[in-house]
Amino acid sequence: MARYGMALDYKNCINCKACEVACKEENGVLLGADKHRIWVGVKEIEGEFPLLSIASNTFMPSQCQHCDNAPCEEVCPTHATYYDENGVVRVDSDKCILCSYCMNACPYDARYVDDRTVTVDKCNFCSDTRLARGEVTTACQATCPTKVRIFGDLDDPNSEISQVLREREHFTLKTHLGTKPKLFYLI
Amino acid sequence: MAVEVSRRRFLQGSVAMTVLGGMSMAPSNLFSNEKEKGELSITTKTGTGKAVLVPTLCEMCVNKCAAIARVEDGVVTKLNPNPMFPKSRNMLCPRGNAGIQALYDPDRLKYPMIRIGEKGEGKFKRVTWDEAYDAIWNGTDKFKGMKQILEEEKDNRSTFVFCAGEGMAEHTFKNFYTGFGSSNWLNHASLCLRTVVSGYGVTLGTYPQADLENAEYIIMAGANRAEAIVTPDTMDFFKRTKGRGAKLICIDPRFTNTAAKADKWLPIKPGTDLAFVLALTYVVLNEELYDKAYVEKYFKSFDVYKNHIYAEGYTPEWAEKITGIAAKDIYEIARDFMAYAPKAVYYPGRRSTFAKNDFQLRRAMAIFQALGGGIDTKGGLIFGKKLPLKGHETVAPMYAQAEGVDVDRTKGKPGYADCAIVSGGGGWVPFRNRVLEGRSLYPVRGLFVYKHNPMMNMPNTAKTAKFLKGLDLIVTIDTMPSDTVMYADVVLPECTYLERTDPVKTFGGAEPAIAVRNKVIDPMFETKPVIEILRGLTEKISKPLFEITKKYDEDVQDEIADRGEEDVYKEYDLTIPFKQSQEELNEHAVSGYPGAYEALKEHGVFYPKIEEYFKQVSVNEHVYYPEEKKAYSVQGGAPKTPSGKVECNLRSIAKKGVDPMPTWRKEYEYTVPEGKFRMLTGRHAQFTQSGTANNAMLHDLIHENYIWINKRVAKKMGIRFGDLIEVSSRAGKTRIKAYPTEKIAPDQVFFIHGFGEESEALTWAYRSGGNDNAVIEDAVEPVYGGAAMHETNVEIRKV
Repeated sequence: MARYGMALDYKNCINCKACEVACKEENGVLLGADKHRIWVGVKEIEGEFPLLSIASNTFMPSQCQHCDNAPCEEVCPTHATYYDENGVVRVDSDKCILCSYCMNACPYDARYVDDRTVTVDKCNFCSDTRLARGEVTTACQATCPTKVRIFGDLDDPNSEISQVLREREHFTLKTHLGTKPKLFYLI
Repeated sequence: MAVEVSRRRFLQGSVAMTVLGGMSMAPSNLFSNEKEKGELSITTKTGTGKAVLVPTLCEMCVNKCAAIARVEDGVVTKLNPNPMFPKSRNMLCPRGNAGIQALYDPDRLKYPMIRIGEKGEGKFKRVTWDEAYDAIWNGTDKFKGMKQILEEEKDNRSTFVFCAGEGMAEHTFKNFYTGFGSSNWLNHASLCLRTVVSGYGVTLGTYPQADLENAEYIIMAGANRAEAIVTPDTMDFFKRTKGRGAKLICIDPRFTNTAAKADKWLPIKPGTDLAFVLALTYVVLNEELYDKAYVEKYFKSFDVYKNHIYAEGYTPEWAEKITGIAAKDIYEIARDFMAYAPKAVYYPGRRSTFAKNDFQLRRAMAIFQALGGGIDTKGGLIFGKKLPLKGHETVAPMYAQAEGVDVDRTKGKPGYADCAIVSGGGGWVPFRNRVLEGRSLYPVRGLFVYKHNPMMNMPNTAKTAKFLKGLDLIVTIDTMPSDTVMYADVVLPECTYLERTDPVKTFGGAEPAIAVRNKVIDPMFETKPVIEILRGLTEKISKPLFEITKKYDEDVQDEIADRGEEDVYKEYDLTIPFKQSQEELNEHAVSGYPGAYEALKEHGVFYPKIEEYFKQVSVNEHVYYPEEKKAYSVQGGAPKTPSGKVECNLRSIAKKGVDPMPTWRKEYEYTVPEGKFRMLTGRHAQFTQSGTANNAMLHDLIHENYIWINKRVAKKMGIRFGDLIEVSSRAGKTRIKAYPTEKIAPDQVFFIHGFGEESEALTWAYRSGGNDNAVIEDAVEPVYGGAAMHETNVEIRKV
């Protein structure tokens, strides 16, 4: 029993995509342009050469936010999307009928269709791979060259993630929607 | 075959085939995967059952980061970072993670093959190893063998050329070259870091490392560490940028991911960095900002250099016109750099030669760095320590008939003016051109290629094709059917890095360590590690080679008369370096460190007191050495040159027509004719040159490369995103899709190297994107014969 979350020191991110490859190899994710559980968001730069806005070229690593108040879970008609015992938002592919409500409901665009099972798939914090084996890190955290990610138990006040969230300013994405994401971006 | 099918079946059990895009039909069924096609899988979910973990070292690029392979049921399902290695600091980049796809690439070379079609056509037949070795020696009806060539050339060993790419077993292959006795060795250096290594070498006595973990002010010019990942620099550095302890000034013509992390990005005109550094030097000298104590103690010819800078008038105002960087920025950077010195780094960089003045640029950078005293010191450039390994037995006979190295400047002999200094790795482009233009002193007829792709890796692909076509015998040792392999007469399949143990290697630095690549699984198909390939080959040809030498080499005949044949042959026995297994050689290499061999087997990494020093301090952080044990300073700041001083004025190279001090010349100025564009090339984090071009996983991240064209220029030309563009120059043409962006100047274009291969045996890489070397002209850097890659102007048109 835990409440897993992730803190992202996003300023470290160099958009190398190591996390994406590690995730795909660990979890057997499909290849394909829109088939990914995690990704790095980047906008085309603002300004005209040579007067470019460095600030506009920030890299934002993203994935399922594992919301405490998840709209995907709320709309799922078959209860395929559920909270597991660690607060991780999961999809039970046996129950999913690919009605795609959850994909529309998710404000973070975190879900895609796995063509093999014809069901919805997304990040699950490596719950059925690494965590199931008793490991304590996700594939993306372990591999990250600049160590963007800290994964851990938000309910444990002594965990590294709890400590870092006490000490450093951070924000969540689309906070105003009230989804209560468990991905925290460190400033 | 039986084994291989069952492996595939395991993969199939977990995931169905998911290949996107068409499978090109290979010219020969040797390359095709009809058997596996229907069951091909790309990724496998890791299981929760039993697994074997094997520590290894990555070979997806040159960094050699430490990985731990997870093996389930004989299949490698995951590569994880190995936290124990101070160089790679518990990380694997996207390429490192995708190493599995190099192992299970369906297009891999699987069997020895010999050519049955025309040269370059890519038609081969599968043979046994013995038949392949025999074809190398005796030839076939399609090509001549070594025996005939050497007989015709009267034992001139230099008629055979040896070339190799960078890798942990490059040295093994080089032992073969040394024993064979040719004088022609070409490696990646002249297409890569030759000028920077040598520029720093002659100035500071060695090519140093940058301590980016502690530097507080960094100028990164033409180095793109956010995309061209170098460990540990990349990891140390980008945790500290953006106002978190390390100020970054990025100097680059285009806006890179490194620029995105910079405090200041200054787009410089390509090839004018030298003027920028000279102007920085001027400010520092003129305002006396340099570290006087350091200069006093460790500079040679300082006054001469100072007067030279003044006399030439290298002011920021002068440099502004040349570089496009405002004089006020140059003043500011020079002052800031010295304020932060010695914890300031003008980053040496590591990549290819940009421009013809590259060697002088690196010299100027090294001298500028030293003016701040940031040499052999924490937060500056460091020499570090290295843990020595024991050597092994080699053979290096002298053959009287072997012609000398191809640049012969001895009196009365015809020489070449290709370059001033011939280095160990040779100069690929000038060598190739000389052979093509008939300026070689003797026929060049054979080529051994190891892990190297000349068709893709050097400017002017058309010339390389012509060069390869003109050779009698080409033997390639590789893992992939690359464009170069298509030109081979004999193809010897090497196993990938996950299927072999390689020579143990020592890594110097502030935190020195020894690491080894352990074999993760047995070689698939009929592939072998290069040491075994060479063992088989030398067993076959060593004695017959000696027979030819006996015929033509009078020195050898005399020796035999003196000492008897058996005794003489010992010196010529090519099998000696390959007799022992790699494991035995490694055990001997580290035998000076008690317990090291076992530790390397178990953990992949070793250094004295590792058990005491190595600690995990948080989920993401490890300590390798206590702070006071780190080798930041090993010489008290003294350069490693023979004089023990920074060499400002190199009179020895002046004799060879090279400027003894960094000097700006009119012809270095940047100009682009109206209607043309300066072609830039570079790197990114997802591919390593052409070596990873066919990796399905990486290909999924980036399907093809795009040409960067300034947005406003593209609009004027009616070019939109994704439009097909033809890029052309005097060297040739290539086709590539457009990416209009403001990240590049209106008179420049850029695209990434390593795409656009023409080998039909590569499912994913075949004609994917454009090949920069098809259009880059073969400009040669005059000091070391390096390929200057940013000297080409191109035309573009919408197709």
